[in-house]
Amino acid sequence: MRILVIMGRVLDPGGIAVNRRRGRIFVNREEYVMQPADRCALEAALRIKDGLQPRGAEVVALPRSVLPDDDVLRLAVATGADRAIHLTSEGTVEADDAGIAQVLAAAAERLGGADLVLTGATTLDTGQAQLGPRLAEALGWPQILSALHVEASDGHVAVILKQGKQYVTVEADLPAVVTVLPDALKPRYPDGVRLINVYKRIGELAAAVEQWDVADLVDVEALTPLLEKRGQDFPPERERGVRVTGAPREMAQALADALRQWAPS
Amino acid sequence: MDASYLDLLMAQQEEPAEAEGMEAEGGGGIWVVADVANGAVTPVALQALGAARTLADSLGAYVYGVLLGEDTTDLAQTLYQAGADGVRVADDPSLAQFALEPYLSVLWDLIEAQQPEVVMFGATAQGQALAPRLAQRTGGGLIEHVVTATLDEATRTVQGGFPIYNGEYFQIAACPQARPQFLTIQPGAFPTPFLDPYRKGEPTMIDVEPVEPAVRMLGPARDFDPPPAPLAQARVIVAAGRQAGDFELVKQLAAALGGQVAGDRGARDAGWIEPEQIVDVRGVKVAPDVYVAVGIRGNTFHGAAIEEAKFIVAIHPDPDAPIFEVADLCLEANPQEVLPLLLEALG
Repeated sequence: MRILVIMGRVLDPGGIAVNRRRGRIFVNREEYVMQPADRCALEAALRIKDGLQPRGAEVVALPRSVLPDDDVLRLAVATGADRAIHLTSEGTVEADDAGIAQVLAAAAERLGGADLVLTGATTLDTGQAQLGPRLAEALGWPQILSALHVEASDGHVAVILKQGKQYVTVEADLPAVVTVLPDALKPRYPDGVRLINVYKRIGELAAAVEQWDVADLVDVEALTPLLEKRGQDFPPERERGVRVTGAPREMAQALADALRQWAPS
Repeated sequence: MDASYLDLLMAQQEEPAEAEGMEAEGGGGIWVVADVANGAVTPVALQALGAARTLADSLGAYVYGVLLGEDTTDLAQTLYQAGADGVRVADDPSLAQFALEPYLSVLWDLIEAQQPEVVMFGATAQGQALAPRLAQRTGGGLIEHVVTATLDEATRTVQGGFPIYNGEYFQIAACPQARPQFLTIQPGAFPTPFLDPYRKGEPTMIDVEPVEPAVRMLGPARDFDPPPAPLAQARVIVAAGRQAGDFELVKQLAAALGGQVAGDRGARDAGWIEPEQIVDVRGVKVAPDVYVAVGIRGNTFHGAAIEEAKFIVAIHPDPDAPIFEVADLCLEANPQEVLPLLLEALG
């Protein structure tokens, strides 16, 4: 079984500050982390692989966009993926999810097909959830969105998801696309030795991260983004609240009165 | 006012409405694909219709509602009342439960035949599943979780704003070239329109060919422990920070208020809470009725994570602590002194 995991990176929110009054975003520390939902998707793929021992499964990591570096993919290999495909391009490729879905569909075909595609249900920064279903459409496969638990074997995938207030199991035949929620699983950490080996290209991981040119997969000219950014909007600054001063007992009394009003239990 | 005059006025208003209905058979327009839940049109569908009406009025376009499901024909009047100029109804037993492939098949045929300019969905499970697939198939652009919608009249393009980092700020995007433009509307972002009981119309019925869904429902999940993330839904949260002093008192306060315990990264470093109890944009974003921050200094991302809370109390000894900028009630005090007295006062 071959499982593709589509992974992305996101600017660590700890490194940016938003000034609402001035309407500006300050990037204090340009540090990227793996998209939390994609990390869960990788975990889901590795759990399926573990469950299928000794036959196993091949887990291949692919990027969510054309990235300038392959850190996310190396991290995926260090965490347990068997190989990763880094999509590169000579010029800049400004594709959005519509174009990337085509690129990934072409990559899946060049890999010799796949049985299951896993990816994050939503991105941390933009909150967009369209890559999974768009890829399912480009591949012509069924989709299951916002999974909490994924099991795959014998030609079908069983997924637990939340429907209203209850949890239900749904099933689809493979191949299929499944998107995983950010908090669904507790992701494992990358293996230290694998991390060093994948960066230093040692042993069996020497060629784990491959480089594929986007131009070999699709017509780059046709990848112009559909969406155009038209500026930002900032929510109003929150107004300052009431300050309570006085002796500790008076303060406690004022707080107790307020809490009784707001949390009548 | 004279009743006969009112009747006359009503009769005048109804005539153009019918004429609009005739014209409404043409293509284009702004479409709203309405979700149906428990035999009623969902509020987000009505809110999307309200937004569509505003956009259509400045664009000079018609608003069409699309209803899919079983026994949905009667609901068409609700869409008319909310501002639709025309309603298309696919009423078929095969559409009783939402399943991707049957719904997709109906909508695809409809979109291909009528070429709408804008197609709106609610940002619900159904809308989130349908919109990207239709967008990919038609080559259209999709903006998800839209909370503001303005119009670029020159190119007839909708500019949608959607939250970044859970609402830290909003990105405005537009789809100037590709048509149709797909939008999913965030529930609660737009006001629910007034339902005008005098607006009515005759819905257009769509023939449905049954399509087999690819995903099968197997029933309730067995032996499944849902991931522990109820903090985001908690009504009352008492959170501790580095200056909280005694965590036992924080727990007692949470118990007294019937709430849950949480904390910032400092509380995690002190070993008081689990990683999934960290309130932060990177951890859990919360929206309780009451949020009590005990000894939390409160950086930007903590502030952003509790922004949706209705009432925020902050107790911190430093008068310059940033938490006081987001709190509704600020106590410049040492939590260790105030908490015992507070517990006493609460009884």
